[in-house]
Amino acid sequence: MPNILVVKGLTTQFEGEKGPITVVDQIDFKVKKGEVLGLVGESGCGKSVTSLSILQLLDKNGKISGGEVFYNNVNLVSKSEKEMRGIRGKEISMIFQDPMTSLNPVLIIGKQIGEVIEEHEKVSGTVVKQKVVELLKLVGIPRAEEIYYEYPHRLSGGMKQRVMIAMAIACNPAMLIADEPTTALDVTIQAQILDLLRSLKDELDMSILLITHDLGVVAEMCDRVVVMYAGQVVETTDTRTLLRKPRHPYTVGLIQSTPHQSKGERRLKSIIGQVPTPDQFLQGCRFADRCPKAMDICHSTIPPLFELDGQTSCRCWLYDDKKEEVI
Amino acid sequence: MRKLETYKPIQARVTYKSPLKIKSDSLQKLSRDKRAIVCIFFLFIVFIIGIFSPLLAPHNPEELFYESILEAPSKEHLLGTDAIGRDVLSRLIYGVRVTLTVSLMAVTITFFIGTLIGLICAYVGGWVDNVLMRIMDILLALPSIILALAIVAVLGPSLTNAMIAVGIASIPGFARIIRGAAITIKSSGFVEASRSIGSSHSWILRRQFLPNVTGILLVYTTLFIGVAILDTAALSFIGLGAQPPTPEWGTMLSEGKNYMLDAWWLATFPGLAITIVVFAVNFLGDALRDIFDPKSSR
Repeated sequence: MPNILVVKGLTTQFEGEKGPITVVDQIDFKVKKGEVLGLVGESGCGKSVTSLSILQLLDKNGKISGGEVFYNNVNLVSKSEKEMRGIRGKEISMIFQDPMTSLNPVLIIGKQIGEVIEEHEKVSGTVVKQKVVELLKLVGIPRAEEIYYEYPHRLSGGMKQRVMIAMAIACNPAMLIADEPTTALDVTIQAQILDLLRSLKDELDMSILLITHDLGVVAEMCDRVVVMYAGQVVETTDTRTLLRKPRHPYTVGLIQSTPHQSKGERRLKSIIGQVPTPDQFLQGCRFADRCPKAMDICHSTIPPLFELDGQTSCRCWLYDDKKEEVI
Repeated sequence: MRKLETYKPIQARVTYKSPLKIKSDSLQKLSRDKRAIVCIFFLFIVFIIGIFSPLLAPHNPEELFYESILEAPSKEHLLGTDAIGRDVLSRLIYGVRVTLTVSLMAVTITFFIGTLIGLICAYVGGWVDNVLMRIMDILLALPSIILALAIVAVLGPSLTNAMIAVGIASIPGFARIIRGAAITIKSSGFVEASRSIGSSHSWILRRQFLPNVTGILLVYTTLFIGVAILDTAALSFIGLGAQPPTPEWGTMLSEGKNYMLDAWWLATFPGLAITIVVFAVNFLGDALRDIFDPKSSR
């Protein structure tokens, strides 16, 4: 399968009081056509900034300072704001974490979805309306013709997220970035939304970059996974390997801190400490001070990504002797 | 692969009576609001009076009745006569035209320029915001009437110039209010979401920002109509607005206040007229805000 999205050495910095702060540091990953790639990590590790960087939606104080983002072999980083507008929504679209705040409270649902179509396709008003109603039906909203005229506050959270999804897929994008699409929803609705995303992916032939901190969602949805820690990729592998045989001590910690039905343990394990903020990054491995297996070298030198078996790579000195390095 | 058709849609929490169209929906709400109906009816009558003033006025507003100077309300002069013997009722009726035109035009100027500046400041931010807002601050430091005075002094005294001056003088306050309301919208999720689907700047300004400040816009616009009437009156009072003998409510009021103890009707009736019109416009603004705000459904 060809790659649809290739991120190479992406680095994003924010202006701080004492100079620029690197929030996303040399990120590499690829999304193949028709694939669901999971981007996993704790809060504050740079997942959302990565996704915003891909679409260049960063706030004014944030800037991509290095690296490339190839979409269908075209570098997006060198595109102008105007060219990016043509890509957002049409080629790559995005679903946000909180559907409650992502819809304009004073605009009817139909107009908000219709905007995407009006922006990217030259069609008449009646066609837009038909398409919007079709989309609403496609994302499983009942009585679509009536909902078209409703304001967002009259819909439940799950319905709003469906509307957001309808908005995102309106122009048939090849790539969908879902930034924690189920975090703000309750558990039963989560399953429905994930189901919907999966069936839409097959139906519309999309690739999905799924950003989440929930390994359950990863197990359910993803083909491959990228684990991020403190702005860096620490492990890349396929989902099965990740869950069966996690390599990086951080990934191991993440899996151990997920509730598991069959284990029967009474207490959840947790990783001690917190993700360091970008101005507190350690000199060596950024996970060293929380790592149960930390060695001397971990505190002094930052480990490169070690390629393990073609599918898997891991940023940890534990795997130093096993394979040659990639960077 | 699972087909979408087998997907069981979740139930909406709301029950729908019938598919409503938005516009008829708002009109329905409007027709149910007694306050709004009374105000619209009243303002409609005022407009009719303005249009048909030559037919309705008992006398020519500039006609002088030498034999009945400062006469109390009587059969001949229902609201009395002023210091040089003009019929107050006739002047009030003709004054509708002048006063309403001037205040509406002034507010139109304020509305368009103020909204534009406010929204641009909020949306663009950065140095544009800083420069524009500092200019507004400088203008705000002067009382609006002084500012209007300065503008009229430059343009020359006439009713049209007074109108322009009053409109411009209200812009700083208006722009600040709109900017304050709009700045909270900038950081909201739906603006980000809108950018993520590739919306243009003008669409975001028109469809995301504007509807969210409509309520505030309506209320302040109606408030500013009241301010505009009073400011125009003040300019006329010092001879820079309506030139005598043009019948204008503010001018009548300021002339009348000199005779407050001897001839109460001179100041009272123009004052009442201004108050009632301003009240009606403000109430209407309040009612419209409730109606157009989708969250305050009743």
